[in-house]
Amino acid sequence: MTKHDEERRAFLVGAAVGAGAVAGASLVPDALAQTHEPSTTGTGPAHAHAGGPGLGAFFNTEDAATVAAFTERLMPGAPGKPGAHEADVLNYIDLALAGAYADLQYFYRCGLASLDAYCRKTYKEPFRRLSTAQQDEVITALEQGKASEFSWPSAAAFFNTVRTHTMEGMFADPIYGGNKDFAGWRLVGFPGGQMEFTAADMQSSEPFTRLPIVGLQAKAG
Amino acid sequence: MATEKTDVVIVGVGAAGGILAAELGKAGMKVIGLERGPRLTTQDFDPHDELRYFQRQDLRPNIKRQPITWRPNANAPATAIPVQNYGNQAGGGTVHYGAVSWRLHEDDFRARSHTIARYGASAIPEHSSLADWPLSYADLEPYYDRAEYDLGVSGRAGNLQGKKIDGGNVFEAPRRRDYPLPPLRLDQGAILFEAATRKLGHHPFSTPRAILSEPYHDRPACTYCGFCQAFGCHVGAKSSILITKLPEADATGNFKLITGAMCHRVNSDNSGRVTGVGYYGPDGSDNTIEAELLILTTFIYDNTRLLLLSKSEKFPNGLANSSGQVGKYLMAHMMPNVYAVFDDRHVNNYMGPSAQKHTIDDFNADNFDHGGTGFIRGSQISVGTGNLQGGPIGHTTTAAPPGTPRWGAAYRDYLAKSFTRQVAMVAQTENLPYADQAIDLDPDVKDAWGLPAPRLTYDWRRPNELARVEFMMKKMEEIGHAMGAAQVWRAPLGPGAPGAHHEGGTRMGSDPKTSVVNRYGQSWDVPNLFVIGSSTYPTMSGFNPTLTIQALAYMSADAIVNRYRKAPGSLL
Repeated sequence: MTKHDEERRAFLVGAAVGAGAVAGASLVPDALAQTHEPSTTGTGPAHAHAGGPGLGAFFNTEDAATVAAFTERLMPGAPGKPGAHEADVLNYIDLALAGAYADLQYFYRCGLASLDAYCRKTYKEPFRRLSTAQQDEVITALEQGKASEFSWPSAAAFFNTVRTHTMEGMFADPIYGGNKDFAGWRLVGFPGGQMEFTAADMQSSEPFTRLPIVGLQAKAG
Repeated sequence: MATEKTDVVIVGVGAAGGILAAELGKAGMKVIGLERGPRLTTQDFDPHDELRYFQRQDLRPNIKRQPITWRPNANAPATAIPVQNYGNQAGGGTVHYGAVSWRLHEDDFRARSHTIARYGASAIPEHSSLADWPLSYADLEPYYDRAEYDLGVSGRAGNLQGKKIDGGNVFEAPRRRDYPLPPLRLDQGAILFEAATRKLGHHPFSTPRAILSEPYHDRPACTYCGFCQAFGCHVGAKSSILITKLPEADATGNFKLITGAMCHRVNSDNSGRVTGVGYYGPDGSDNTIEAELLILTTFIYDNTRLLLLSKSEKFPNGLANSSGQVGKYLMAHMMPNVYAVFDDRHVNNYMGPSAQKHTIDDFNADNFDHGGTGFIRGSQISVGTGNLQGGPIGHTTTAAPPGTPRWGAAYRDYLAKSFTRQVAMVAQTENLPYADQAIDLDPDVKDAWGLPAPRLTYDWRRPNELARVEFMMKKMEEIGHAMGAAQVWRAPLGPGAPGAHHEGGTRMGSDPKTSVVNRYGQSWDVPNLFVIGSSTYPTMSGFNPTLTIQALAYMSADAIVNRYRKAPGSLL
């Protein structure tokens, strides 16, 4: 991992933890513990980002915290079941919006602003400060198109896009910044980009367990 | 701006264009192929990357640069369709396709007359322009055979010169010889489907695919890696035109491929002949090629669009459109899905070629008595992967069981349990032709070259189609239960948008008043213009179109080389 990568991760983890610290149980401690990494920058993961190099590629600190909390509710972690935080879905979306999905930057800006307005109107707090039960109520309202304060994108369109990007961040190859340490693939039992399966593999009714899991740049035992 | 001269220009070097390039080049004709995208190589397909190829559609047209719009009817606004399923590189859709390779049934070539003979004219829906093809299965059989052996298709014969063979498709039309390669290996889902459908009295078989089950023509066999439909093959076992016919075309010394070339106009003169084409290069330059013979082999949208864009004084309604039929009779397979998840076993559905792994043909075409069903024609039913993709991103794009939310802990647990335990069934259901299912030019939306986007007007939800889809849904549910699944459920049906395998727009026929081209794809109006591909299909059948596109390309190549070249003019 390069220094820049570590700084990026420290920033994003810091933003996520900041959200979790305020929201109480919005992040699962077991899952979170596994993402703590030694940092050479001195930006401890327990602190929100304090500026300097290694900022997020697209999101500012508050938006990063909102997206971290939102995606963790879409795909929550639990012991033995890695979720969005453990897979670093936030990092995936952040990098995608700075690159392949740059044309969705304004979509996210507007969607996050509408989300914030809706949460403040309904709960007097921003999304990241709500309890997980309240966050789930908000997401349900978005999914059903019932959340006020959205014009463009519509609440349902914003929900659908974040959901899609969350699934991509969980299950795309780790080179895109999510699916950290193959967390998503381990969750569902996918062995990655295997070059070959044998007749015995294909006709077995047992789980496929032959290692390593194969990614584009990394393999894992 | 460059200008050059050649014998033949082929616009779009995919399933049909690549075959024509090789066959005409071998006959000594000088051919230039225009291809909008790049020319890739097998080593380009090393990355097994679901995000890039499945989710972001890297081998398919960019929907923002090359929009195709859709509206359900002429009064509704048109919006860009989110997924395009055709190719965007040399080799076209055969680079990323699932390689399913069917011969149509005998009665698929005469759907109208066969329906009238068996059920009476009233069985044909009032507004459908159901038509016979201007050729028969027997006419095309030699070319199906040639395509299977030339390209490499794996399967088992079910009807060898009239003799029915269990284990092959007993509903197929008679073939002169078996497939060149044995069937591809079965996976767990195929084994369960095989047993269940036999128990129900159906006739299952391994889907014929242009994927090598054994080494063939110096290419290696499939490794069953699972990165298949939506991906290029990393070992070259998929018999794509990119690795079969393009090297052959190169070897003739008569073929020149121009990539990054966007054809925007077909030029014609006052005598009613085509004189060549105009195309934009990657640098934005506007270039001209003069040619004696022009063959359009783009996907159906551009075949129609180019004719409509190439108006002239002589052809005020679009080139080759004196019939007014250009753009009409758009058809697309309806794709109802049923999912089945198992408690007692893993099926590891991400292994092996991902499209239509094992099939029954009992409810396709007129293979069963439609009396009392409320519909005509049918569907193949296959087991495979949801959305034709076995990876985990693909899995999240399919419908979870009723009652399971689309997010949260319950959804996470559903994914974790079902990913290795779930199969999908799809009924690739025939869509009848209707005149108001059509392609024209969008007056509002333009593509990256400033050309009007092709606009589709289409809604499949008509009584005959709905009845056919419902019938197939029930059959798939029966099969899912017979497979021993713990839970079986339907994917919700979409909003009527065109599904898979868009066909039509330049219909072939026997009458110049009601069709655009003849059986060879030759324009009735402009004899030195050919249009070859599934845009010419009068009806679509319940089968994937590609092998028939390829057979038609071989047939037209023979007609051009052996007859047209000696006496340029109408072949009929």
